[in-house]
Amino acid sequence: MTNDTNARHILRARAEALARPPENAPVASALFEVLEFRLAQERYAIETRHVREVYPLKDLTPLPCTPPFVLGIVNVRGRIVPVFDLKKLFDLPEQGLTDLHRIILIGGHDLELGLLADATVGVRSIPADSVQPSLPTLTGIRSEYLKGVTADRLVVLDVVRLLADPKIIVHEEVEN
Amino acid sequence: MTVKWNVGTKIGGGFSLAVVIFLIVGAVSHQSTTQLVAASELRRQAYEVLSELDDLLSLMQDIQIGQRGYALTGEESYLAPYQTALGNIDARVQGVRTLTRDNPRHQRRIDALERLIDDRLALARETVDVIRTKGPEAGAQIIRSGRGNNMMLELRKVVGEMESEEEALLRHRVESAQHLARNAQWTIVLGTLAALILAALAGVVITRNIARPLQDLTAVAERMTVGDLSVDVSSDTRSDEVGALARTFDRMTQSLRTMAGAAAQIADGDLRSTITPHSSNDVLGNAFARMAENLRGQIRELVEGANVLGSAASEIVASTTQLAASASESAAAVSETTTTVEEVRQAAQMASQKAKNVSDSAQKAAQISQSGRKSTEDVGAGMTRIRQQMDAIAASMGRLSEQSQTIGQIIATVEDLAAQSNLLAVNAAIEAAKAGEHGKGFGVVAQEVKSLAGQSRQATNEVRTLLSDIQKATTTAVLATEQGSKAVDAGARQTEVAGESIQALAGSVTEAAQAATQIAASSQQQLVGVDQVAAAMESIKQASTQNVASAQQLETAARNLNDLGQRLTQMVERYKI
Repeated sequence: MTNDTNARHILRARAEALARPPENAPVASALFEVLEFRLAQERYAIETRHVREVYPLKDLTPLPCTPPFVLGIVNVRGRIVPVFDLKKLFDLPEQGLTDLHRIILIGGHDLELGLLADATVGVRSIPADSVQPSLPTLTGIRSEYLKGVTADRLVVLDVVRLLADPKIIVHEEVEN
Repeated sequence: MTVKWNVGTKIGGGFSLAVVIFLIVGAVSHQSTTQLVAASELRRQAYEVLSELDDLLSLMQDIQIGQRGYALTGEESYLAPYQTALGNIDARVQGVRTLTRDNPRHQRRIDALERLIDDRLALARETVDVIRTKGPEAGAQIIRSGRGNNMMLELRKVVGEMESEEEALLRHRVESAQHLARNAQWTIVLGTLAALILAALAGVVITRNIARPLQDLTAVAERMTVGDLSVDVSSDTRSDEVGALARTFDRMTQSLRTMAGAAAQIADGDLRSTITPHSSNDVLGNAFARMAENLRGQIRELVEGANVLGSAASEIVASTTQLAASASESAAAVSETTTTVEEVRQAAQMASQKAKNVSDSAQKAAQISQSGRKSTEDVGAGMTRIRQQMDAIAASMGRLSEQSQTIGQIIATVEDLAAQSNLLAVNAAIEAAKAGEHGKGFGVVAQEVKSLAGQSRQATNEVRTLLSDIQKATTTAVLATEQGSKAVDAGARQTEVAGESIQALAGSVTEAAQAATQIAASSQQQLVGVDQVAAAMESIKQASTQNVASAQQLETAARNLNDLGQRLTQMVERYKI
């Protein structure tokens, strides 16, 4: 009985979800694709044109003598990619690493790195005019990498600025 | 007329007269009878002569018949009567002659008859010879000549004369015999009458002279027999035996009177007189003298005995009174004891009944405890089965737990797959976005795959939740099963303990039942014993009652004895010795 009711409930929910018209029916001219992901209960997004692929977190090798935001390096099909932890950069609470974490591989002209995400939500289109400029309350390093915030509190990161930031280039030497 | 004769002479004379008359009558009767016998002999002779003559005639006729038959037929068989008559005829003639030899006229006629017969026989022989030699016709000639018939007529005439004379003689003899018989009758009747009259006369005379005085004496003796001695025998002057008898009777009476006087004295208690017997043969006198002497001695002894008896009877009375009193007391005591024993018997009976009830109850309890023992055994078996089933349940629960873990692994795998699918969908969407307008369709597909991965994930989550619930329930069930198993173990142990207790209880109850049965038997025996004691006490009671009665009778008897002693003393005091 309860199984039937549950099944019926689930089916109805699915039907409603399918019947619902897509929110914010995008205007073809001002749309851009983003990859939405979560970081410590906050929603962030990256433009998909910078995303190479999403890769599960595995075979992470911690790298000594690096800043705390460098989590380590992973082997992605033969390429050695560094993994950054944005939560360290954004001073967000840590929750520990699981195999549910994802690595979002982003790349520019010559640099390729992975961003650790607690979970990837998916690719969605958002209208360009819905992205508002960064809030004045956001200061520090966050404001440097922000492109904008949507009405539904989705933080869109500016990957170009992130990649261009010289702080992320680690250049340390271990002295003997 | 009879004074001078004594009694024997008188009786002898009377009887002699009667005997003489009877002799005369007998002689006359004898003579008459002899004459009658002779007359009847003569009559018989006359009848014989007549019969012989008839036979003779019939023989002659036989001869004639045989001859004629032979002449008619010529067969020898017809000569049979002829031959027979020839053989007998001479004997008949001689018989007639012998019978009539006292009568000369008959003798002469017989001579004539013999001649006639001879002639006739000669003629018959001749005729027969002629028939044999010349045939029947010649014989018939001779017969037809009539000679034979003439001879027969003459013969019949002579025989008829003889018969008529003989019949006349017979009539004469019968008349004389009747006359003689009448004379003899008269003689007998008259003689007997005379003898009777004479005997009666003699009897009367003798009776008058002897019987009357004897009757008088008999009357006197009769009165003496009943004790009357005041009779007076008239002593007449007769000199015969009767007179002597009367005088002797008188003397005897006087002697008896003397004895009676002495007996009267003794009866009055005066034993002082002495009795002198009339002679040494005087039995009565001697007996009286001895009796008086003995009575004197006996009465002396009796006086002494009566005194002793009186004192002894007094003592006996005292003793028997005490005996009666003690017998009454013991009877009362025995009666109380009997009542007590009866109560004891009732109590024993009740005890026996109770013991029997207890025994029955104990038997029932033993049966119930037996069934209880069986039930505990069944319970033990049931507990064992429960434990086995609990073990089976525990094993099933273990398997269930393992399988739910396996399901969890499978779910993890599915989750992983869903995550990878999601990742794949994201990557596909990214690739689609890179492809621009050409990748739009592919983006939709990627979106669908992503949605599918999400649904898979959600379903997996639900399954995981369910599985978690199941695992929790399974854990609870395992715990419950373990607890149940423990409880079953404890139950089994307790059942075992209870079984042992019930077995011990059954043993105790059985022993109690046996003991109750023994108690019932013992109390039954006790009841029987008490019954016997009661019966014995009853017998003792009856015996003591009889003892009391006997003691009272004894007392009465002793009192009677005492009275008797006193009376005896008084009685013997009356005697003067």
